Amino acid sequence: MKLEWSIVWQSRWLLLDGALVTVLLTLLTMAIAVPGGILLALMRGSRFRPVALAATGFVELFRNLPLLLLVYWAFYVMPVLTGLSLSPFTTGLTALCLNVSAYNSETFRSGINSIRKGQTEAGLALGMSRGEVFRQIILPQSWRRVLPVLASTWVSLFKDTSLVSVIAVGELAHTAMQIRSQSFRVLEMLTAMAAIYWAMGYPQAKLVDWIHRKYGVRE
Amino acid sequence: MDFDFSPLVDSWRFLAAGLGLTLLLSVTAVLTSFIVGLAVGLGRLYGPAWLRVPLVFYIDSMRAIPVFVVLVWIYFSVPILTGHTFQPFWAALTGITIHVAAYVAEIVRAGIGSIRKGQFQAGLALGMSRPQIVRDILLPQAIVRMLPALGSIVSVTIKDTAIAAVIAVPELMRQAETLAGETYRPIEIFTTVMLVYFLIIFPVTRAIDRFYGRVAHLGRS
Repeated sequence: MKLEWSIVWQSRWLLLDGALVTVLLTLLTMAIAVPGGILLALMRGSRFRPVALAATGFVELFRNLPLLLLVYWAFYVMPVLTGLSLSPFTTGLTALCLNVSAYNSETFRSGINSIRKGQTEAGLALGMSRGEVFRQIILPQSWRRVLPVLASTWVSLFKDTSLVSVIAVGELAHTAMQIRSQSFRVLEMLTAMAAIYWAMGYPQAKLVDWIHRKYGVRE
Repeated sequence: MDFDFSPLVDSWRFLAAGLGLTLLLSVTAVLTSFIVGLAVGLGRLYGPAWLRVPLVFYIDSMRAIPVFVVLVWIYFSVPILTGHTFQPFWAALTGITIHVAAYVAEIVRAGIGSIRKGQFQAGLALGMSRPQIVRDILLPQAIVRMLPALGSIVSVTIKDTAIAAVIAVPELMRQAETLAGETYRPIEIFTTVMLVYFLIIFPVTRAIDRFYGRVAHLGRS
């Protein structure tokens, strides 16, 4: 067996591009899925039943599906539903957002529910509106409980972005798999791919541990 | 927009075979992950000091590498390194187990860590050996406390089996892909398969939550 590790160095710029797309996908998904999660959590708490039911259905559906299937589904169904021809990147981003919004909604819901009811009542008694109570009293306090969980979701999301490679989004996994099939340096490229994910993901996992230690709420 | 569900009616056996394999892979992967994860978790807690460093390294590495990458690496690289071909099913089972066991190990550690120290000391005071204490006092309580987390691991494992499609394991996801490609009816097929996955995963997580609700008092101390 002859290994030629030079292929990894030769394709460093392609791999770097791929890694950047991976980071970009993670950032954009989180930027959309955090407000999305808050919105879904609020909708679930709504007193108007159809809204609450729709949000619950959305969350339960997208939490209980394999992401890979969701990616394929978005790829084939979204163009028909919307009539637009979406790029693979947008399609992948949508699938990730649907999935992560559902997870985030559960995170925010439990964070919001963990704030005692007396706080809402006190705010209302002071003449604040429900919206003000939520924005100024409940949300700031629940951040601390929500942050560690969001951090864990972040790392899962970072890893899950590898699945959009199946619809040819040019992120790290897809780039590495492409170089592998063009150069036939299978072992070298796959090992490099794993090593790059490891080098990027390991510090994030450690950072999550630190956030859990620093901000985790113990009762 | 017109829908045509006839490919599903015609090829339901093809999809049902995939469903069978998905279930088989899920059940075996859950079992092996729980066994390996328990061993790794206990090894990290009570094993010799030299063993802890590699175990922690393994657990943290699996938290950093996507399961997709693990599966693809095992399937393509192990044959190159060993010279033996790896059947897709076994490659998938190995990859999912290696990945999920790391999470199970963390849950085991957290579960046992949540039992008060006094219980361990009480066991020692009664003259029990350390393995006895872990087996007879700590684990029975810890397992109850671990149930919700293990429940989500079960659903994660079932979802992960879909990734085996990329290494050509003919499970439900792969069969759906093949059928969609042959019949040009991806919308009907993927939507139906979505429903099937949901109908498997949702009741499983619900059942585990229900069961936990019944036995939660056994974990209190």
